[in-house]
Amino acid sequence: MSTTALSSSSTGSTGQPPPRRKAPRRPKPAPGTQRISPLRVIGLTVVWLFTAFNLLVLYWLIMAAFKTPLEIFREPLSLPATLFERGTPFRNFVYAWESAEFGTAFLNTVILVAVCSVVIVLVSAPAAYALSRLGVRGSGPMTAFIAIGMGVPFQTVIIPLFIAMSEIDLNNNLFGLALIYVALSLPFTVFLLTGFFRSLPDELEEAASIDGASATRTFWSIMLPLARGGLITALILNAIGLWNETLLAIVFLQENANFTLARALFTFYNAASYQSEYGGLLAGVAIIVLPMLVMYILLARRIITGLTLGAGK
Amino acid sequence: MATVSFRGATRYYAGNDKPAVDGLDLEVADGEFLVLVGPSGCGKSTTLRMLAGLEGVDDGQIWIGDKNVTDMEPRARDIAMVFQNYALYPHMTVHENIAFHLKIAKMPKDQRDARVQEAAKLLDLEPYLDRKPAKLSGGQRQRVAMGRAIVRQPQVFCMDEPLSNLDAKLRVQTRTQIASLQRRLGTTTIYVTHDQVEAMTMGDRVAVMRDGLLQQCDTPVGLFAKPRNVFVAGFIGSPAMNLIPARLSDAGVALGGATIPLTPAQKAAVTGTEVIVGIRPEGWDTVAASEGLPVTIEAVEELGSDQYLYGSSEAEVVAAGEDVEHREAPHPIVIRTPGMSDWSRGQQLGVRPRTGAVHLFDKETGNRLPDA
Ligand SMILES: Nc1ncnc2c1ncn2[C@@H]1O[C@H](COP(=O)(O)OP(=O)(O)OP(=O)(O)O)[C@@H](O)[C@H]1O
Ligand SMILES: [Mg+2]
Repeated sequence: MSTTALSSSSTGSTGQPPPRRKAPRRPKPAPGTQRISPLRVIGLTVVWLFTAFNLLVLYWLIMAAFKTPLEIFREPLSLPATLFERGTPFRNFVYAWESAEFGTAFLNTVILVAVCSVVIVLVSAPAAYALSRLGVRGSGPMTAFIAIGMGVPFQTVIIPLFIAMSEIDLNNNLFGLALIYVALSLPFTVFLLTGFFRSLPDELEEAASIDGASATRTFWSIMLPLARGGLITALILNAIGLWNETLLAIVFLQENANFTLARALFTFYNAASYQSEYGGLLAGVAIIVLPMLVMYILLARRIITGLTLGAGK
Repeated sequence: MATVSFRGATRYYAGNDKPAVDGLDLEVADGEFLVLVGPSGCGKSTTLRMLAGLEGVDDGQIWIGDKNVTDMEPRARDIAMVFQNYALYPHMTVHENIAFHLKIAKMPKDQRDARVQEAAKLLDLEPYLDRKPAKLSGGQRQRVAMGRAIVRQPQVFCMDEPLSNLDAKLRVQTRTQIASLQRRLGTTTIYVTHDQVEAMTMGDRVAVMRDGLLQQCDTPVGLFAKPRNVFVAGFIGSPAMNLIPARLSDAGVALGGATIPLTPAQKAAVTGTEVIVGIRPEGWDTVAASEGLPVTIEAVEELGSDQYLYGSSEAEVVAAGEDVEHREAPHPIVIRTPGMSDWSRGQQLGVRPRTGAVHLFDKETGNRLPDA
């Protein structure tokens, strides 16, 4: 504020002060777009209610993770106090981490989710590229066939999968679970990326082929970077899905050392509720929820749409 | 550098029995600037894309130099192309865009950078080398697309309406730049446009296409002086040539009181009873309204150096004596007069074709009648 005043007065003394023009904080919207329509009112209400509800739940969860069970039930919405007064604010987290063996589970999950999401995208991207852009014979039916995979609920194939995995000794094995995760996530990811690749302009491919790039080179140097938004979207969606995946982990993992976070929480839930350790239980939930939230906040901004801007005209 | 030759090149698109390019025979000399021109949808882009290897050739052959490239991949042809909408790689900087081919060709980095610098200097792109295409203006993008082509020093340049996205002033500027750049580099160039002024100013030779068929390929002067058929006559030149159908009599063709005599060879070449008389706006002499072909002025276009009178002729010169439906009067007529003459709307004047300014075409076939 003061610097603005200073600089304008100093230029004023030397001569004609340049007229200071300031853009409005918010550019004026196009006429008619701000009108209150019933659709707008309903939409806004629903969105805000939904957001408020989610924020409330998140708030409650995080606060509860710092509370004693008594506080959780007596004052569900107040700020935590007792544990802070005792000087052990992270008691619940420590309890959850130690008694639920979250240490190993956390490491297992991070590795499993990271490897699986990357592998899924690495396999899906070339597949989607081939299906959508290389003019492969029968690519239409093949895409449709892959899309069928999305329509099959994975719950229905758990038993055959379990038998199959036992036969090849990959039951109770993180590698085995990774295989299942990758296989089950492929249809959706391929389908998602097919749409993305299809939306890219043909001319860039043609320009690349004239520039002397082979099909592989075009894929790596031109199409993949352009589809970055799609790849990151696929990565995030898969990571979140796999991070939270519980049913398959419960079925296929039996040994504590192999547990993923969701699986460990499931065991911990029984123990903690038996001991009325609700604070610890919710701290466990927070440990699972927060990393995904952080990742989403960090990566969502990188989902760049309109990256092809500047290719033409 | 090399010659380019289309030998009966034909291209069908799926689901269309009429070829988009039909038996194209065209020889382009080494270092020549050839412009392909024609109305929208006549197959110009298809021709260029066949040469670049982006479309298959259904019939015939394409040769570059002494190599038959008909079935070669685009990257084996050593051709550079400037696309109509530039097709710059949006995720690469200007420098990377220009250097992409050299990088693929595994040219050492210092050599590569030198080449890019050289091209950038030629095109005034030096300040923008580190920018992404999204942050450039249309004209700058156009120059990047040019840079990407010239840095390769290819055998042939293909350009598909590279100026169509620019505003009128920039287009005129860039058009001379491209032409002089091409002269300097001496690279065989095939340039597509639908703008006949662009074609006439830039090309060593101009090939006029229509509905997939090559109509005529000649120097701008040749096209202007001796259009081979009615289509070329009407397409080349601005304002367009006046094309007036007229009935043939024993003496010749009657037009505005004057009779244009036909040589025996011309008479023999006429297939029907009518011919089309073509006279450019500058091919008229103005006389008193009572003498020549009477014209009523409807609009005056003052250009300073020249003046164009847009008028119509009520006279029944046109196939005189025929029944009313076949009369084409009032027939629009454009006349060029010296600039700043005091003609105005509604005035009447007479016009008479100047000797030597008359083009004659057969009405049935549209072909030019022999000149002698
Ligand atoms: N991919 C395609 N599939 C089917 N028909 C096509 C295809 N591309 C072009 N055509 C047809 O082929 C003909 C020639 O097209 P082309 O693109 O070569 O025209 P053009 O002379 O470049 O026109 P313009 O000046 O509008 O760019 C047109 O009639 C067009 O409809
Ligand atoms: Mg075209």
